[in-house]
Amino acid sequence: MPKELVKAKNIKKRYQMGEVKVYALRGVDFSLYNKELVVVLGHSGSGKSTLVNIVGGMDKPSEGELYFSDQSLHEAGEAELTSYRRSEVGFIFQFYNLMPNLTAYENINLSVQISNDPLDVDELLEQVGLNDRGDHFPSQLSGGEQQRVAIARALAKNPRLLLCDEPTGALDLPTGKQVLKLLRDFCINYNKTVVIITHNTNISYMADRVVYLKDGLVEWIKENEAPLIPEEVSW
Amino acid sequence: MLWKKLLRDMLSNKGSYLSCIVLIVLGLVFYMGLTIAVENMFRGKEILYEEQNFAHGFARVESMLERDVADLADEIQGIERIDGRLVQEVRLHDEDSDESIYLNLISQNLADPGRLNSYRVTQGEGLVEGSANALLDTYFTEARQIEQGDTLEVIHKGQLEEITVNGVAMSPEIIYLCPESQIYPNPEQYGAALLPLKAMWNMFPDMQSKVNDLVFSLSPGADYHQVEEKLEQELEPYGLKEIYHRDDHLSHFMVSEQIEMMEIMGTFFPVVILSVAGAIILVLLIRTVEQQRTQIGILKAMGYSNREVLLHYLSYSLVLAAAGGILGSVLGMMAAEPLSDILMEEFFALPQEYVGISPAYFIVGLGLCLAVMGTAGYLGSRKVLKLFPAEAMQPPAPPSMKENILERIKFFTSMLTVQGKMAVRNLGRSRGRSAFMVFGIAASCTMVISTFSLAYESVPTFLFHQHDEVEIYDAKINLVEPLPREPSVREVATHPEVSRVEPVAEVPVGISYRWHEEEVELLGLPRKGRMYNILDTDLNRVLPPDNGLVLSERLAENLNVAPGDTVEVESPFFHEEVHLEVLKVLPQYSGMNAYMEISALEEIAGQGSFATSLLVEGDDIGSKKTLAVLNDNYGKSENVAGIDGWLTMREELLEVWSTMGIIVRTFPVVGLLLSFAIIYITSFIILSERSRELASMRVLGMTSREVLSVITFEQWFLAFFGLLAGIPLVRLLLIAFAREAATDMYTLPVEISSHIMLTGVLFTALAIWVAQRFALYKVRKLDLVEVLKSRE
Repeated sequence: MPKELVKAKNIKKRYQMGEVKVYALRGVDFSLYNKELVVVLGHSGSGKSTLVNIVGGMDKPSEGELYFSDQSLHEAGEAELTSYRRSEVGFIFQFYNLMPNLTAYENINLSVQISNDPLDVDELLEQVGLNDRGDHFPSQLSGGEQQRVAIARALAKNPRLLLCDEPTGALDLPTGKQVLKLLRDFCINYNKTVVIITHNTNISYMADRVVYLKDGLVEWIKENEAPLIPEEVSW
Repeated sequence: MLWKKLLRDMLSNKGSYLSCIVLIVLGLVFYMGLTIAVENMFRGKEILYEEQNFAHGFARVESMLERDVADLADEIQGIERIDGRLVQEVRLHDEDSDESIYLNLISQNLADPGRLNSYRVTQGEGLVEGSANALLDTYFTEARQIEQGDTLEVIHKGQLEEITVNGVAMSPEIIYLCPESQIYPNPEQYGAALLPLKAMWNMFPDMQSKVNDLVFSLSPGADYHQVEEKLEQELEPYGLKEIYHRDDHLSHFMVSEQIEMMEIMGTFFPVVILSVAGAIILVLLIRTVEQQRTQIGILKAMGYSNREVLLHYLSYSLVLAAAGGILGSVLGMMAAEPLSDILMEEFFALPQEYVGISPAYFIVGLGLCLAVMGTAGYLGSRKVLKLFPAEAMQPPAPPSMKENILERIKFFTSMLTVQGKMAVRNLGRSRGRSAFMVFGIAASCTMVISTFSLAYESVPTFLFHQHDEVEIYDAKINLVEPLPREPSVREVATHPEVSRVEPVAEVPVGISYRWHEEEVELLGLPRKGRMYNILDTDLNRVLPPDNGLVLSERLAENLNVAPGDTVEVESPFFHEEVHLEVLKVLPQYSGMNAYMEISALEEIAGQGSFATSLLVEGDDIGSKKTLAVLNDNYGKSENVAGIDGWLTMREELLEVWSTMGIIVRTFPVVGLLLSFAIIYITSFIILSERSRELASMRVLGMTSREVLSVITFEQWFLAFFGLLAGIPLVRLLLIAFAREAATDMYTLPVEISSHIMLTGVLFTALAIWVAQRFALYKVRKLDLVEVLKSRE
């Protein structure tokens, strides 16, 4: 029986964007388990990024309950959420979000410096295939290379949960597949829980489970009995 | 890693950060340089005072027996020690000079080694009993190129006496020397000499065994005013002329005022400069935090705490403070010694006991910088505390899309190009940025105009006004004592080279109003006179009144009186105290006086008609011919204390200005640097946060100049308001500075002529134009692909 890592109960989120009020989540219930790859699917504006931000401790729900292991996150203060993000969560974004003034090596080291149990930077660079590009700045790397550095940076902290918001959104198909393969490999080899947010249905075929969001609610959750390998995914 | 990010961020925007460092360095140089110079002067003064037993009080009498002086210490409680001296002003006999050269002879009782106001020999040998030998003051000796062993001939009451120069000495009472009624040294024509008391008795046989000057020290805890009151009673029978505290001794006063003035400048300028630097850092950081929202979000997403992220951005200001503080402190400490040298070699004869380089100053200077910039940095970056990671990674909510007030003036906007319309729209949408630009230009304009005004108007006016506008004559004959007015005027007017003679009556008075009191000189002037002019702020001549007083502004302020108030006036020259109405209060930049019509003054004094000096105008105005004639005829007269030439005094002033001007003329340079730094930084803040917008316009096909015109239109539009705001700010700043710097000896006028104003405006506009050339260069160099690729 897989161990429950994250439990979300009736999560709601309201935003004020300038003069407009946005109801991003309207009562979401779902769970994440150890060592699984989950795809959160949905169209643009469905609330998938908001959900992942809340699960990742980057934002707080307006209502509802959220637990990581037995730790309550919905009542956590700023310091607790920081500590949670520091030790338990790694983030990967669509547009990489590397520090422009730090090299690839230094970007990864930024994570290492705040971690109690980090992975080795050189090993990570090798695993993402960039061991000879460590001293390059983001502006000197291609999109795919930057995303790989971002993955290494997220993994360097050795988190239990990896959250990836449209990790292939800015990449071409071959590069995107490379990135997906990395994520799958880390899920299996490092026993991580990996969550990929995407609007691309084809990517969902490689997931262990798929959570479909629509208009701020979970429409359905299904398990893939035979998930595809990243090489077989195409879009 | 965040340190590397910090340093690389700063390097990529080095122009702005370097400008901040320049401002901080300037502020620290002023602070350190002046503070240490003050310390050097204070130390030198204190050492000399302690070493040579500088007296607490002074008194002048007609004469009294020297042996009676010591009894006063026993009779008056509060006096620890009292010494009698002979003090006599004489003229130096110099056949090569048409000008009168004065020497103030001060006796030294060599039989009393513990005497007050002793001396420290700096060159040559000390005084010896048995002959007329003297130690001269430093500047007189240098100015007249006198050497040890030289013989000086002095004239007193028509008699010539010889003095041998033994060397040069310092003494607490001759640190700063200047002729009476002047405030600037004139070492070529006025000096002091210390002689043995017995030698002076031999030179002035009518004063044998007598003294006319007393100095006294107070017992610990004694009250000076009580002592003064008792001493006044004791000295009345001896023809008491005046008693005054050390605070009113000219040399002590000038040294103390100089120290205080430098302390004020050492606070005022650094506060202004560091405040401007702090304001710029505040805005730089606000903008940086705004621009790096996403990076802040990522750091927080990664698990960096608020404190760690805040510290990172705070470090920007602390690095600037450290760099500027260290460099500024070092340069300031280096500048202190030359500054001290100028003061002590040119103006104040003090021992050069410099404090040297002290870690304490360094720590204070650096600490000050860190405190100011740290506060600015915290205020500028505290927004990071409020940014939640998810929110930080979203772009900020767009500003209001409503039309601003300028956009609603359709007639105005219809005349604009697309770039102009963009500029107008931006002005309304970015009110904070627009306000910042206006503030930057106003501050810049204020700096330039105020420093130019000080250097080219206020200080020169203060220095030359008295001689160029108020006292306009060829020569002034100073009488030993008051003489009958009409006969004196007639006597001098007989000479064919003399075209006009005007009498002046100078009477020492005490003026009081309620509990305020001041001792000043009341000048009686002829109603139709034109050689000593009382002027209002527009330089219009004011006639000396015969039914009241005209007071200088500083005097009126000290007495807390205004026109219409009645004051009490008393004087040793008056039989009784009189009440006079204050009729006018007028500016006076040099000294502090009261004025009335000479006949009215004579009536009050009840001593008949008299004059204490005569102003003479020659037929060849502006030449020294008249002076030469007067010297030939009256130079050795026993009634004449001396004859001063206007031209010579003006030449001396020009020399003073040439030294003072070196320091004063740095002010506009500082103003220009500040001005350019402010505008450069404000321009680059604006440029850097709009690089994406500008790159998009270049991609569309606009030229660099067309793209820049959006920014330049905004800047010139805002510059108009900034310059307008700067003009009243200048006046406020100068008034505040003049008020702080004013003393009883001098007042700085606040003058801002239209051409200085125009100069300031033009220089500010030039700074804006130059900053825009740099901006054009940056726009041309924009990597369009890189800028548009990035999300920030």
